[in-house]
Amino acid sequence: MKKTIVILALLSLFVMPIFARGDQITISGSTTVLPIAQATAEVFMDNNPEINISVRGGGSSVGIAGIMAGTVDIGDASRHIKAKELAKARESGINPVENVVANDGIAIVVHKNNSVKNLTLQQIQDIYTGKISNWKEIGGPKLPIVVISRDVSSGTFEVFNVMALKKMQQVDSALMLASNNAVVSTISTTPGAIGYAGLGYITGNVNVVKVNDITPTKRTIQSKEYPIARTLHMYTNGNPKGLVKQYIDFVLSPEGQKIVEEQGFISVK
Amino acid sequence: MKKTLLIVIIAVLAFGVLNAETKLKMELWNRWTYAMEDGEVTENEMALKRGYLRLEPKFTGKIKGRFNLDFYSSDSNSDAAGVGIKLKYAYLDFSELLPVANSKVTIGLMKTYFGTIYDWDYTTIDKDPSDKYKFVSSTDYGLGFGGYLPNGMGTYNLAAYNGEGYKKVGDNINKDMNFVANLRVTPIVGVTVGGSYMMKTKNDSQIDDGTGEMIDNPDRIQYNMMAGVGKLAFGKFSLLAQYLNKITTMPNMDGSEDETETVISLLPVFKVNNQFDIIGRYDINDPNTDAENDAETTITAGFNYHILRDSKNNPKLFVQTNYQMVQPEDEDANSESELAIQLRWIFSETINKK
Repeated sequence: MKKTIVILALLSLFVMPIFARGDQITISGSTTVLPIAQATAEVFMDNNPEINISVRGGGSSVGIAGIMAGTVDIGDASRHIKAKELAKARESGINPVENVVANDGIAIVVHKNNSVKNLTLQQIQDIYTGKISNWKEIGGPKLPIVVISRDVSSGTFEVFNVMALKKMQQVDSALMLASNNAVVSTISTTPGAIGYAGLGYITGNVNVVKVNDITPTKRTIQSKEYPIARTLHMYTNGNPKGLVKQYIDFVLSPEGQKIVEEQGFISVK
Repeated sequence: MKKTLLIVIIAVLAFGVLNAETKLKMELWNRWTYAMEDGEVTENEMALKRGYLRLEPKFTGKIKGRFNLDFYSSDSNSDAAGVGIKLKYAYLDFSELLPVANSKVTIGLMKTYFGTIYDWDYTTIDKDPSDKYKFVSSTDYGLGFGGYLPNGMGTYNLAAYNGEGYKKVGDNINKDMNFVANLRVTPIVGVTVGGSYMMKTKNDSQIDDGTGEMIDNPDRIQYNMMAGVGKLAFGKFSLLAQYLNKITTMPNMDGSEDETETVISLLPVFKVNNQFDIIGRYDINDPNTDAENDAETTITAGFNYHILRDSKNNPKLFVQTNYQMVQPEDEDANSESELAIQLRWIFSETINKK
């Protein structure tokens, strides 16, 4: 009996797939960071044809979970790693290192025809918690407010939840969408809507309102004057090495940061 | 009592599911067990060993709850055909209720923060050592404060418990509180050390007089329990080591002597890849360090094969295979062996996302 078990255990080792990876970098995580990762990866692969970069989204939580499990080389996140995630990672022998690759402002977006041009952080909180439910209460048109938010696994949601909502519970009727693009697209066709999205996703079909009389611009975001500004990250296990270092160095290079700006985000420097 | 409990559960579940963002999770363990003792087959069973239904309503960004129903428990007080249902968790977490970063206050039927029982993920089919050797119950009614040290340096917990765990109900319950302190520190990535201390007193109406006879308890039993935990994790290899010590005193019982029970447990894991882990476990349990020939050693070897994981790499479907040998210190006693193959499947969904 014992001999059979040992033989079965050894046999099972040989049938399990053990994948070897060559000149490949795997990236997954934040949908906000996704266009930066995709655009920089394309140019990096053009410059280095022998290297293949696989880029996927999934959300910041997925990117950080990938780093903790060792299933990706780079975990994209539009938020900082949480205390719980960091403690668990260190205990598991993983050392998540945060590489800041861009700055971003979370823009507050309304329909093109909405006359409201400025909101305070308190008004945004009141709208999202249901205390203000009609635009006329804040000087806008007589129109019910349609609250649009992001899914809870999104890093954009996490940052907005902390910086704008102070972790207050959102109104039950809030429409939870899975991507920045979906938020902007829905607002462009919904007159009473309000939502938020990374600056890189803003199109001419919607209006961006000021927050506390501050417009999200390169200067106000880099200086953190804009109240809902954040950094975007590529997490690695330990300091970047080898191919991963080459790629992140490229993202942080003048050429890479130009791509960051082309995608609508704000460069690090 | 059961009726009241049922009404409370239904009310809470209804409120949670209808009004708050709620994570639903179900986990089921299908197991085949083949056990032998002295060449004789003692068990050859296929069973659904355990099931958990978990609801985690998030009432606000700072308040969330967890409610766990434990089905097919190993509890001997099963209602019928080996099936039992018990409420295992029913607690609320209040994040940053006190002005301490990354802290929370927990109230209700909550985890016992002792040793590794509170984050045991059943890498082996067998239970956590302090659960298996009955040092503590995995959950109990209580009030706790805990959180994370800065920079991911570790975790800490302080808690006061009712003292009976979640299984015991009825009149013969402990009236004394238990207290626990727990600290786990990771000073270097991959190197974790920690320890727990629990002070527990019991005043059950009846106790074992040491010969198996139940007698009236002349006073109380006092337990001082300590757990030392060490963990190394480098690359594909990890080793969890644990030392448990329990000193039992019966201060007012004439002629009684203190008893000390110890457990040493080692759990090495080699992660071949994201699908396949090779595992081992080595436990030595000495129920009374002053007594001869009462210790036993348990050796386990096996593997975990992950068939499916979710987007965050959490297991969804996996097979565990463990071969276990129990060797008593007493040379006249029979050794036991057991082969267990377990299929665990988990599904979860978040509803009312807000």
